[in-house]
Amino acid sequence: MQRDETDRAIRERESASSARMATAVGPGPIRGPDDVPGEPTKTMTMLKERGASVMQSLKPISRIHQHLCAFHFYAYDMRRQVEAHHYCTHYNEDVHQCAIFDSDKENARLIGVEYIVTEKLFKSLPDEEKKLWHSHEYEVKSGVLFLPGIPQPIEHSEMKMLAKTYGKVFHFWQFDRGDSLPLGPPQLMMALTADGQLQQELAADVEKRYDVSFAEKRKNREDLEGPEGGVHSLSNSWTSGKGLASAIRPVESCEGVFQSVHL
Amino acid sequence: MSSSDISPGQAIPSTPEDVPGGQKSASSHILGTGAGIIQSFKPINNFQQHVCTWAIFSHDMKRQIETHHYCSRLNEDFLQCLVYDTDRADGRLIGVEYIISERLFLGLPDEEKKLWHSHFYEIKNGLWVNPGVPEIVQKLELKQLANTYGKFWCTWQFDRGDRLPLGPPALMMSPQAQAPGQIRPELIKERDEKYHISTSEKAESRKDIQGPELIHPLSDLWKTTAKGWAVDLKEVDMILRAGTPLADMDRNTNVATTEDSKGDESRL
Repeated sequence: MQRDETDRAIRERESASSARMATAVGPGPIRGPDDVPGEPTKTMTMLKERGASVMQSLKPISRIHQHLCAFHFYAYDMRRQVEAHHYCTHYNEDVHQCAIFDSDKENARLIGVEYIVTEKLFKSLPDEEKKLWHSHEYEVKSGVLFLPGIPQPIEHSEMKMLAKTYGKVFHFWQFDRGDSLPLGPPQLMMALTADGQLQQELAADVEKRYDVSFAEKRKNREDLEGPEGGVHSLSNSWTSGKGLASAIRPVESCEGVFQSVHL
Repeated sequence: MSSSDISPGQAIPSTPEDVPGGQKSASSHILGTGAGIIQSFKPINNFQQHVCTWAIFSHDMKRQIETHHYCSRLNEDFLQCLVYDTDRADGRLIGVEYIISERLFLGLPDEEKKLWHSHFYEIKNGLWVNPGVPEIVQKLELKQLANTYGKFWCTWQFDRGDRLPLGPPALMMSPQAQAPGQIRPELIKERDEKYHISTSEKAESRKDIQGPELIHPLSDLWKTTAKGWAVDLKEVDMILRAGTPLADMDRNTNVATTEDSKGDESRL
């Protein structure tokens, strides 16, 4: 009897909440940041948080020093391409870690994480792991990967290094299929490897907003070279014709531990 | 390949010093600093709130890790957090957590709810802290956060010895009263000593914090199913844009050898 009441209470509250809230799940038009459900932040909430934050040191965050703009597509569907704003930390000379956002605005949504490593470290990965990674040579040389606001000579220097690296990126928020909240499993993403892949409207939109020309950048980067050993055959694994899609599977959480729990 | 691959066994957790790679060169430093000055970092500027707590791997709940969340609030009902393994400058980015109000959580499809965890227990019991912030200030926000739910993907399983991030992300769960959700006392002690705080004192001061009327039964699902979640990556046919069927691509040069014509979809 008590459980029935609990179930009923839950259902009532869920339906009330669903009625109030816009559908979280796609399919549908691309949801913009304004579609993130929720009330605007109250002044009191903001003051409480700002007050607290003044007292805190934010060391790992303060090490994020580079904004990089590029494009990702889903590792099983190249038709789904998104603009990806990377906010990166050079962890050491060979490893970068980046937070991925859907824009460079204040209300940008945190949509994923990318790790970038040099060729040397990439080669040290197990072969099965290499298949999750993508090369950066094409994106860099074609000019579509760039550092907004950075003067060309400085950008060029950074690109020289990036052209030889490999990246691994997962996205958690499929806003492009209409999700107004981050739903489902993480999505492995991939990067462009050749001309003819990047959707022209997407490219043109970025060029316009940042007042850049990919063609011009391509010209400036003609002297750059990719990995010493050539792009590794195990990277960009989708080029073999097989993409990688994720699925979630239930597994035993902890052997033996639950034996004493009353269900 | 799965997030639950490689049972750690005797593997020793890797530390920031274990991350392979050279020391940053002078030019790296200069470029880095230069870029930091010229570029704007609007999305990052909002990551102002540091939370220290613990998370547990849903596919192996013996593995508990101390986490450092840096959170940004998008609106009254939604926060997004970058999660690191320490609060030091050498902190490794180990994942992302989204935190939503009870209101938003209740509106999620049931299948989605199963991937989320509740925060009430860890807040009420002093596990969740804002280092450096007086408890009285922390409590102002905690009353609201006590009713939230989180979804946390860990992208770097450093505690099983990974020196680099390997495999797909793993789903994490939160501390709970029920075993194996309880955080090991030695971990709590170590954290308390590091920050000169007392988790038990905080629990005492938070006695008056009320949680949700009822924690949704689909969150923290392991409590009733004894099961967690693994993420598998499976091979599927790749869907390409028209104009670049693989047969036309010269794989050595990665250049398409046919022109991109019209935009109808092609599938291998």
